[in-house]
Amino acid sequence: MNFAYTPEQETFREEIRQFIAENVTSEILAEVEESGVRSRGPKTRDMYQKIAGRGWIGISWPKEYGGQGGSRIDQYIVEEEFGRIGVEVGGAGSGAPAILAAGTEEQKKYFLPGLIKGEISFALGFTEPQAGADLAGLQCRAVRDGDEFVINGQKMYTTRAHSGSHIYLMARTDPEAPRHKGISIFLVPMETPGITVRPLWTIQNDPPAPRRTTYGDRRTNEVFFEDVHVPASCMLGEENSGWYVGALGLNLDRVGASRYLLSVQRDEDIINWVKENDMGGYGPSRDPAVRDRLAELWIEAQVCRLMTMRSMSLVERGGTFTYEGSAEKVWAPEHGVKTTETIAQILGSYGQLLSSSEDNIEGGIFAHNLMGAFQSGINHGSAQVMRDQVARRGLGMPRG
Amino acid sequence: MDVLPNEEEQMVKNLAREFLEAESPPRLARDMEKDEQGYPPELWNKMAQLGWFGMSIPEAYGGQGLPLTYLALILEEVGRCIAPVPFHSTVVPALTVASDGTEDQRQEVLPRVSQGNLIMTWAFQEQDPRLLPEAVNVQAVADGDSYIISGTKMFVDNFNVAEKCLLACRTAPASTDNQGISLFLVNSNTPGIAHTPLVTLAKDKQSRVEFNQVRVSKSNLVGELNQGWPIAQTMLDQATVLLCAQMVGAARKDIEMAIEYAKNRVAFGRPIGAFQSVQHMCADMTIWVDGAQLLTYEALWKMDQGLPASIEVSQAKAFCNDKCQAAVRSSQVLHGGMGFMMEFDLHLWYRRVTAWTMRLGTSFEHRARVSRALIDQPGKVWLGMDQIPVA
Repeated sequence: MNFAYTPEQETFREEIRQFIAENVTSEILAEVEESGVRSRGPKTRDMYQKIAGRGWIGISWPKEYGGQGGSRIDQYIVEEEFGRIGVEVGGAGSGAPAILAAGTEEQKKYFLPGLIKGEISFALGFTEPQAGADLAGLQCRAVRDGDEFVINGQKMYTTRAHSGSHIYLMARTDPEAPRHKGISIFLVPMETPGITVRPLWTIQNDPPAPRRTTYGDRRTNEVFFEDVHVPASCMLGEENSGWYVGALGLNLDRVGASRYLLSVQRDEDIINWVKENDMGGYGPSRDPAVRDRLAELWIEAQVCRLMTMRSMSLVERGGTFTYEGSAEKVWAPEHGVKTTETIAQILGSYGQLLSSSEDNIEGGIFAHNLMGAFQSGINHGSAQVMRDQVARRGLGMPRG
Repeated sequence: MDVLPNEEEQMVKNLAREFLEAESPPRLARDMEKDEQGYPPELWNKMAQLGWFGMSIPEAYGGQGLPLTYLALILEEVGRCIAPVPFHSTVVPALTVASDGTEDQRQEVLPRVSQGNLIMTWAFQEQDPRLLPEAVNVQAVADGDSYIISGTKMFVDNFNVAEKCLLACRTAPASTDNQGISLFLVNSNTPGIAHTPLVTLAKDKQSRVEFNQVRVSKSNLVGELNQGWPIAQTMLDQATVLLCAQMVGAARKDIEMAIEYAKNRVAFGRPIGAFQSVQHMCADMTIWVDGAQLLTYEALWKMDQGLPASIEVSQAKAFCNDKCQAAVRSSQVLHGGMGFMMEFDLHLWYRRVTAWTMRLGTSFEHRARVSRALIDQPGKVWLGMDQIPVA
């Protein structure tokens, strides 16, 4: 066992913190908040260029695909530090692990450097109106037509459809096959004719949730495909193997710095807040009930951290997850919700005030978190489905 | 960063498990609940031959000089098999003698502990059960070359079979800088000592121990006069983290039994383990024990690095108290009426884990220590910071 970062890793973290303190201004962060990949402002582009200049983009990714060939822990540190200020840096993001594992050489050369730099990003085209947690029931169709596929159908809750450059699309290619065996994955540019994006506004939109809110997205989308023609070379992996290709990415998507931070940042925020704020003489930091609950939350958050470190340790050892990723995906989001709801009881009436309210606390992030935190236990595999996986894969319990 | 046991650590753990599963069946724990001594000398001697008691005692005194983590991994397996031996109560004061005793004290105690020829215990708690210096009121008064000790200690583990007891006494009035505590190594057969067995939930051997004008030589003082609190604090931290390891081991075995039972017990025409409500309970139980184990290992690792670890110890114990309790309670629930039956073994684990949640610090006490560090010290805190500032 070894629970420490190396001195080099500690120094590296300090270096990143210093870079952030010196270079990432509140104006840049405000611009980041407004922009997606397709609409990065000049300040944001400049910041990303500086980050790239430090060699912090795609640290653990292979050199031939635009990475640095370095360690996963270093990459984790980069993602964690930039994640704390709400900036996504160089982890390549959703879809990339599956492309590295199952893509053609051409796909790897095209997508991976772009994903690492943040010039390409995927909207995740999994969920449909009738296929959420039970994803294998998806109905969006892709029909082969010579060297092309023709796609028809609808996707839902596609958060990045308006900001991402491509969609990572799961579609049914063989309706006769058993459900899991007739699905393929396509990497489709969003500007392909026949794709229509319609916004779905969330409860975080008006007033807008502050940056760093857990699930503070103001909008998500519906995406409609009407006779969308794509070349067969858009397919990732073998035809009809999409279910298994998708699984390659999902487990890695469920662990790592950004998911971890989603669940624990409010713990740090509230403890540091009560240390500095007396609330007109109340002094929540002196209230024994509050102190006990804050310590409890902190300890649970440490478990989130250690479970993330366990996943990192497994990856570093070259092992595979049996249930550990799923366990983390149960514990951490549910903890994040508990924290959010506990904070509400610490702040009392002030906990209601949203971002546009003058008297709000910390920009209203705690109030907005109450509208988003529970989403983290739903997306990328609900806590209920994750518990099924812990029980069946981890403990060998029988199917019903 | 690698939070999983390495090959050597795993090997030590596996060997301990193999030995204990063969030598310490549940029947033994059951029998020893009714035994006057409370432990089987044959098992004790076999463990001594394996070198377990000297695991973390320096080589110069007949031990193996290995980090505390190794000792904890063995105690995790002792917990798993609920082996009824005065292991924990012996190694805890021995480690304190190793770190803070005089050369004579070390020579007197450590080789015998390493060989399994000396059973020990330690006494801290009193009527005020908190593990704080102000709760220590047993008085030791200087008298020539001796101290005269008077007062009552509570919850002294295995005092009935311990030859020596490391005792926390008050030698000066309680002060704000936590001075005035001194530690003495006392032979349990010294005139003036009387003990009364306590009947406990775990049906283990704890005693109320009364000291009536007990004369102890000054040479039995461990550490400096009046400066015993920091030593006691380290001892309590070590005792606590080793108990966490035992709890994790016992809770793990306990939930494994429940999961196995759920796979085999048929109701409504199928194994109950096929019902999602049962599967989700089992998933949560696993996640809780995993968390308890990770926190315990981190605290151990920090101690072995010589880093301050009191916050990590408190994190581990508070979580073990709440979550190991919840896990073994769920196991009882999954077993239905069986868990309530004397003839069925599950309660042996349930009663021990439950009892251990109350030993060496409640969740409230440990969280109070964590909150003092988090809240009462200046500066921002963040998860994963190298060192949480300690009050």
